[in-house]
This record gives sequence, structure tokens and C-alpha cells, in this order.
Amino acid sequence: MNIIAGDRPIRDVNREIRKALADGIDITVSEPRSRHNLGIGLPSGTRVRFEGSVGYYCGGLNNGAVIDITRNAGWGVGEAMATGEITVGGYAGMAAGSSMRGGLIHVRGDAGPRCGVAMKGGDIIIEGRIGYLSGFMAHAGRIIALGGADDACADSLWGGEVWVAGPVKSLGVDSKLVEPQADEVEQLEKLLAIRGLGDRSREWRKIVSAQRLWHFESRDASAWLMI
Amino acid sequence: MADDMSKPYKYPFNAPTEEAVAMSDVAVDGRPIGVPASYDRGRSVSWTPETISDVHALSRLGRYQIRGFNTFNDRMPTLDDLVFVPATMTRLPLEGYRESCDTRTVLGNRPGLVECPIELDIPIYIASMSFGALSASAKAALGYGASKVGTMTCTGEGGMLEAEREASTRLVYQMTPSRYMLDLDHLRRADGIEIVVGQGAKPGTGGLLLGMKVSDPVAQMRSLPIGVDQRSTVRHPDFLGADDMQVKIEELREATEYKVPIFLKMGATRPRFDVAIAAKAGVDVIVVDGAEGGTGASPELLLNHTGIPTMSAIRAAREALDDCGMSGEVSLVAAGGIRSGTDAAKCLALGADAVMIGTAALIALGCNAPCYVDDYEALGTSPGRCHHCHTGLCPVGITTQEPALEKRLDIPSASERVARFLTAMTMEITLLAKACGKSTVHNLEVEDLRALSLQASAFTGVKLAGIDRTYEW
Repeated sequence: MNIIAGDRPIRDVNREIRKALADGIDITVSEPRSRHNLGIGLPSGTRVRFEGSVGYYCGGLNNGAVIDITRNAGWGVGEAMATGEITVGGYAGMAAGSSMRGGLIHVRGDAGPRCGVAMKGGDIIIEGRIGYLSGFMAHAGRIIALGGADDACADSLWGGEVWVAGPVKSLGVDSKLVEPQADEVEQLEKLLAIRGLGDRSREWRKIVSAQRLWHFESRDASAWLMI
Repeated sequence: MADDMSKPYKYPFNAPTEEAVAMSDVAVDGRPIGVPASYDRGRSVSWTPETISDVHALSRLGRYQIRGFNTFNDRMPTLDDLVFVPATMTRLPLEGYRESCDTRTVLGNRPGLVECPIELDIPIYIASMSFGALSASAKAALGYGASKVGTMTCTGEGGMLEAEREASTRLVYQMTPSRYMLDLDHLRRADGIEIVVGQGAKPGTGGLLLGMKVSDPVAQMRSLPIGVDQRSTVRHPDFLGADDMQVKIEELREATEYKVPIFLKMGATRPRFDVAIAAKAGVDVIVVDGAEGGTGASPELLLNHTGIPTMSAIRAAREALDDCGMSGEVSLVAAGGIRSGTDAAKCLALGADAVMIGTAALIALGCNAPCYVDDYEALGTSPGRCHHCHTGLCPVGITTQEPALEKRLDIPSASERVARFLTAMTMEITLLAKACGKSTVHNLEVEDLRALSLQASAFTGVKLAGIDRTYEW
């Protein structure tokens, strides 16, 4: 089924998307015209294809849908996704996959700054380069960038991993490079191979939290009782 | 020397001895004459014993101090600086002990944008305090107490706790920058969504939960390593300014199918502008949290030295809504240091549609109650003075994650105390409203107040007592 977004009220467009998906119909949304908030909170077992570019928060709060965006996505694509799969055919703007808890986002081009900011789980694959402060204060999950990373990569990570093939301009605060284990690389390459991105010749940089910001310098509870 | 007053002059008597000049027989014991009294007491304005010990503390710790509770800045005005001027000759009072006064309060009544506005029986609800900052038992008791009197609670930053959802007939879900456990199902089960851009206790800085309170369940809900000193973000991950937030608000409406109102909570800093911008961005309810607002933990300097007083923020916020033509469309909630129904009534008169209480509700639960005195002493404090929420060693089981301490909070009796406190507060509000001749608490107005101090008048635009004029610059 095809739904035309065009310049119609987004509320109507989303209502039609939800209705069609509830009826078990896969849909294509044409003329998305970079409109914001397309396809929010969609359920599992459904498929939506946006034919063109979308604005902010497309696939936000995704709850299991498989979403295909043929061109570019604005800020916060797939933000707070619990589960599901989002593919961006072109580039993704700022904060792709921010605070997502699970699922997969796959961007064929580059991603803007703060990719995977505050993420709590899931995987983000960027075929190109990730912007500055990517992974900022992420808790868990993996960001996988095949084309390098800009400044302050993996800044202030609580947990999770940032994998970069290609140059990393600079590491962020409290992050460190660690030697990837063979089985980890194997697992990663398997995930990439499923997406048609297998390439055994990559030189991986794995970045994790240095854990210096996990605690104030004093772990002694009595020090906090002084006031 | 220019100031040498010794001129050649001869007394018509013998020159006095130095001993006689020194009045040694009347000098204070232990202090030679000629030494001012202030030498004993050390009356430096800058270097009081407190500031000296502060420097000692910082020089030992090498970091700022952290504590819970609220501001200790004694320059902060209180709502005691305002009094009501009830009906006398120009107005008719209602019978305070007999006639009724409507307390129903609707938040987010925006047809077309909000299908289910929040209807409360009273103009007071329980502020957003997280599971993490508070024990699960405290969260549940607040929920039950609020439900009994027909009002609501708010989840706070740690995500939605099932025990709290069950206990609360109405529950606002808080969406903070850290987005802990942000879950679509939780959003859809909430009666409202509160976007946080700041809090009164520490505007401009994110939440803080020391490792002692990041227990296994708390860590799981927040997907954090157990025991870390959790210092949350203050900027939202996926929007920056008000224009982006406008898109975010639409996303939340889409996610909840335009059913529930969207709140925005801000610390009171520049409410005249911040409130106007928030209203323009499209939220339904604006919560302005004054500098007196409490918290589970904060760098102490932020508690004491950031934000503006609640009383001043309410007037500015209401003026902003009036100027934008948004009064009546966008609801205004005031919070921060509200201690009683009297305080709440003054906030309503200053322009709030409802008030939110946090610390007062915790005190109703049993915070600072005179029991387990030894445990207060172990913290270096005593009942009535405790502000050690940050340690997670709350003697009465409220701001703790220690199971043994949490057990001390009896949910049924704590719930009942909260319900009774909210009832008493409501009675206080209606008593004042009726004395002012109002058949609904929402008719309380600035004209019903007078200021006892120039400062309070200047902060609020309330007329000075007696002279009946506002303080004019």
C-alpha cells in the first residue's frame, strides 16, 4: 500500500501508517519531503519504506518495525528505539540512534555529530564516517563506523563500544582504545556480512570507557557524610 | 606625621601615668586594653567560622561538596514575606467553616491537542522524584497517598516503576536528558509526559545519584554499572534549542496519539523569557521550579547559589503567558520550597494554576521524623536537621536503596500521612480563599496579597502592606 506524505498534516499521515500496519499491510510512503516525525512508535512485525528523505526523529521510539529510508534522514533517526531495524540509504543527521535501547540502525552514508548519544543498547552501523562526540555518554550497545570518526569519539562513555575502521580524529574524554579480540572481530564481521558489508581486511579500533568518570575520586562513603 | 595630634601643650596638672590611662582595673580579663572587642569574636564579614571551615573542607577534599535537601542560602526570601488581605468592606468573604470552595484543577486542557487533560481534585500534586533518589516504598506511598485525595505523582528521572504506576491513579512520566529506560509502553501508560530542561535545585546541571544509591535494581532500570556515581546529562541528546524541541513535542504527541498533555519542567532562571519560549514551543503545562526546590543530591554551591526564588518566578511566568496570550491555554505549575497550604495559596494568588510539592511530601512520609535517632547521629545530624539524602543512608527509609533501611518505611501509614497532609494543605488553601471571598481557589489573585518587605514587593509586584502601592523603581 502506498501513502503519500506530501504536505498533508503529519498526524494524518502517521494515523494512516498505523492503521495500515495494524491491518498487517506493508507500506510505502512516497514524497516524505524531509518531513519530521514520520513513523513514530511503530509495532513489530511491520515494514515501512520511505521513498526519499525524512526529517527529524523518523522511526523514533520504534517498537519492532523494519523501516527503510531510501535517502537521507534528519536528526535523531530511530531515537529511543527498543527493537527493530532501520536502514538509511543516504546520510543521517545529528544524534542518529540517540538513547536507543535495542535494534539496529544501518546508515549507508555518513552520520552527523553525536551518533548513538546516550544509547542503551543495540547496534548502529555507519558505512561512512561518524561526526564529533559520537557515542557521548552511551551506556551500552555498539557503534560501528566503517569510514572513520571525527573529534571526541566515544566521549564520556558509561559503557558500550565504539568500533571504528579508518582514522579516528581524536578520542573523547574518558575513552580508551583497546585491542579487539579475534572472537569479537569475528562476531562483528558476521553482523556486517549479513548486511553485505563483510570485509576481512579492516583494521579495527575498539574504543571503550576508561571508567575514570564512573566515580568521583573518592569512593569512601564517609567522605560524603561531612556536611 | 600629618595625623600626629601631639601638639606642644601643657596640662595645668601633672601628666597621667600610662597605667592610669590604660584603666587596667576595668579591662576585660585576658584582653589588654587597647585591643578592640572584635579581636575576641573575629567578626570578619567574609571569613566567618563557616566560610573558614568551608575552605578547610575544600582544601582537604579537592572537590566541591555534595549534599541533598535544598538551599541553605539565608538570603533567599520566603513566602512568609507575603500576607493575604481578606475581604473586608470592598469584598464579601465566604463562610470559612461552612461554604464550599472549588479545588478542582485541570492541567493541559487543549482541545484538539490533548484528548485527556489531567483533572485533579486538588491544586497540589507530588513533584517528580526518581526511584533511585527515593526508595521504591517511598515512591509507592506517595502514589497511594496522592491517589486517595485525587491527585497525581510524577516518575522522576529513573524510569517508570511498576509499584508507582500501580499506586498512582494519575502519573506523569518524566523524560529527562539522560533518557533512562525510555520505553514506549511506559509513555503510553502515563497520564502526561514531562520534558525536563532543568530543575530548581540545580538549573543548568544534570541529575546526580551517588554510587551508594546505584543499587542493582536502580542500575538495571538506568542501564548503568552498579555503584557508579551517576552524573546525568543536562542537554537532551536529540534536540538543542526551542525550535528542535517543538519537533520533539510533536513526536511525543504522535507516540501517544495526542492523548496526554506534555509538560515542560524548568528551573527558575529567566522565566519571563523561558516561559514564553516554552509556550511557543507548544507544551501544554509549564512547571517552574524555584531555587528553593529540593533534590536528592547536588553540588552544594548550585543549591545555594543558582536560580531565582519561587515567588519571583511565578509572577514573571504568569506575565509571560499573559503577554503571549497563552494564559488559559497553557497551564502554569509552581514548585520549589512550598511548605504548606498557606504557601500554596500564595503561589496560586501569584499566578500558578497548581503547585507541586516534593520535600514537603517527603517530610509527610516521615523524613526527619524523631525516630532511629542513633542513625541520624551516625550521619552527624539529628532529626529535624537531616539533609543527608545523598548518602543513601536515610534513617527513615525514604531516600535510600538499602533494603534494611527501606523496610522502616511502612507504606500504609506513610501513604495515609501523605493523604492527610495533602488534605490539610487543601483545607488551608480553601480557608484563605474563602476569607478572600473566592468560591474557587483558582480565583485567588495578586490583589489578595500584600508584601511585608520591599524585597518581596519588588520581586513579585505585590503591593506593599499599608501604603498599598507596588514598589516602584
